[in-house]
Amino acid sequence: MSASNEGLAGVARLSVPVSRLVATYLGAIALLALTLIAGIGVGRYGVDPTRIFAIIGQSIADPVRELGEVDERIVILVRVPRVLLAALCGAALAISGAALQGVFRNPLVSPQVLGISQGAAFGGAMAILFGIWGLPLLAIVFLSGLSALALVGFIARINGRSEIVTVILSGMIVGAMFSALVSLAQFLADPNGPLPAIVYWLMGSFASTTWERLLIAAPGLAIGMIVLWGLRFRLNILSLDEAEARSLGARPELERWLVFALVAFIVGSQVAVSGIVGWIGLVIPHAARLLVGHDHRTLLPASMLLGAAYLVAVDTLARTMTAAEIPLGILTALVGAPVFAVLLRNHYRERSGR
Amino acid sequence: MNRTLVRGLAAAALLVGTALPACAQEISFTDQEGRAVSLAGPAERIVTIPMPMASSVIAIDGGTEHLVGMNPVSKAAITEGILGKIFAESRDINDAVTDANFVPNVEALAAVDPDLVIQWGGRGGDLVDPITNAGLTTMLILYGTEELTRGYMGMTAAALGKPERFAEHVAWRDEVMKEIEARTRDIPEGDRPKVLHFGRILNGMTASGSGNNYTDWYINLVGGQNAAAELDGSKPVNAEQVAAWDPDIITLNNFEPGLTVQAVYDDPVLSLTSAARNHRVYRMPLGGYRWDPPNQESPLTWMWLANLVHPELFQFDLRAEMKAAYKTLYNYDLSEADIDGVLWMDMQGDAANYDAFKAR
Repeated sequence: MSASNEGLAGVARLSVPVSRLVATYLGAIALLALTLIAGIGVGRYGVDPTRIFAIIGQSIADPVRELGEVDERIVILVRVPRVLLAALCGAALAISGAALQGVFRNPLVSPQVLGISQGAAFGGAMAILFGIWGLPLLAIVFLSGLSALALVGFIARINGRSEIVTVILSGMIVGAMFSALVSLAQFLADPNGPLPAIVYWLMGSFASTTWERLLIAAPGLAIGMIVLWGLRFRLNILSLDEAEARSLGARPELERWLVFALVAFIVGSQVAVSGIVGWIGLVIPHAARLLVGHDHRTLLPASMLLGAAYLVAVDTLARTMTAAEIPLGILTALVGAPVFAVLLRNHYRERSGR
Repeated sequence: MNRTLVRGLAAAALLVGTALPACAQEISFTDQEGRAVSLAGPAERIVTIPMPMASSVIAIDGGTEHLVGMNPVSKAAITEGILGKIFAESRDINDAVTDANFVPNVEALAAVDPDLVIQWGGRGGDLVDPITNAGLTTMLILYGTEELTRGYMGMTAAALGKPERFAEHVAWRDEVMKEIEARTRDIPEGDRPKVLHFGRILNGMTASGSGNNYTDWYINLVGGQNAAAELDGSKPVNAEQVAAWDPDIITLNNFEPGLTVQAVYDDPVLSLTSAARNHRVYRMPLGGYRWDPPNQESPLTWMWLANLVHPELFQFDLRAEMKAAYKTLYNYDLSEADIDGVLWMDMQGDAANYDAFKAR
């Protein structure tokens, strides 16, 4: 990567011209605004654009007013929280993917690699199996995501240190184990009770978003994003060779685990309210890298903006394309997998070309 | 000499006389997947894996002696509903022979020593092969239409050696169906209320669409139209789509424990549908079996729904019909409290057009 070749100087200087950065950010912000507006404006229940403006205007003026009409309720109680949550989750997942890729110095990792998503999913499946919903479900999902991370840490820590490759392998082991446990939960569940909920939720969906759920997930997502953004310089340094990083005063081990914990925080909050949504953390940072380069000071905000716009767009498609609600995970995989295949080939072509 | 000959002839006649009925007792038919099924005599130990069949076997047989295993979800309907009260011993019938997804536990199945296993066809070999490999006689049935339902009930009656029970049952179904159809056949689409059935509503909604769906069939039979007709089968939907359909009548399933009509009235978007505004939200009754899927009480379902969908055309005396039906099916005299329980009178007694079902 350019930073390691240029040493200290490379770390301080931005590798992409400012004009391009500004254009990218403005474009991303415009795209996000567009998707948010489109998300609130379209849906299976047709509402006139002028009416939507009126409804939103009235709600901003008087947030606690009584919503009597069905179109008001659909816009304010169904669409707005859903679009906002999709945006927050998209941004949070994208930045966690970018951070993980920085820590691992490998662009082919994501939160699923550490087994956090699977751990959170298992907690959720067990909770649903026992009929637990609401706030206790969120707590259980978040804690089991963290426990997956702790397990990875325990397995990977050998002689007081954990190598990156060992961490990745431990993540795969833990992820596979929790996936199997989720399948066990599915097997045990009664198909006429919790099971359809488990299956649908594991494919990811924002269909059950309410203001309450948004307010429950938002703090975790926001804190995770803000602190990761605060670590942007550290992430640049972590992407250096380990010896160089230590010589610059970083403590890679500690900072790595801090990033992991924040990612667990973010993914746990997101899985708790919408099930497993994959491919965002993998694909969006790549797209952002193509536009703004590898420097985390620019990569992280760009990933957040693009991730938010992307997930809002995909979720809007999922709920409007057909009368039936398409699970989100299907669409993100259908779009993400081919894009990722192309990126994978380009990456290795580049690597072998050097 | 002559005496010996006479005795010999008498013995031969006796032998032939007893042998003839034994041959006549052998039962064979083709099941709904075209497989030949043959039983040496009327089935005495039946295991039912499809959910409605447990109560159907009990109804056709007139008792529980020949049912030795069932689906755990059938058991749930029995313990929650009235069949567990009518036939208290049904609560003790083994339900470990299969899981809720119709995947049989072959060892538990074999331990129960059935002479006939009833299982779903058309859903893949995983559900069937383990049973046939274990050498158990299996009868496969298919879901979806009234015709198929009658078909497999007829086979069940034949297997039990009680074809006459089925003959009366099918005559009843036919009579009710024709009576309703005669009056609804010519109702134009504009006069057909939109009915929406929620297969699930707590923690995620699914609606019953058209396409091999029994619910869709009887909604149309009673003169309604399926609000979710554009869906193929049972699919997940969101509140916005339901608001866009704006159903006139909403029916709720019997599979979610503790489900009440408040699930609709408390939802901010669903409570503004025409159905909710006009108090036409009903949970399907739970009688000898859940009234939503096809079963031996289906004609009662049709009458109940007809009264609710077209109160101006249909005024079936449902309470009287139920009493007559339960007497025929289970030889049981329904009390007024029993009927109120089946129809969820506590929960939806004040729903629109439900007065017709109240005790006089």
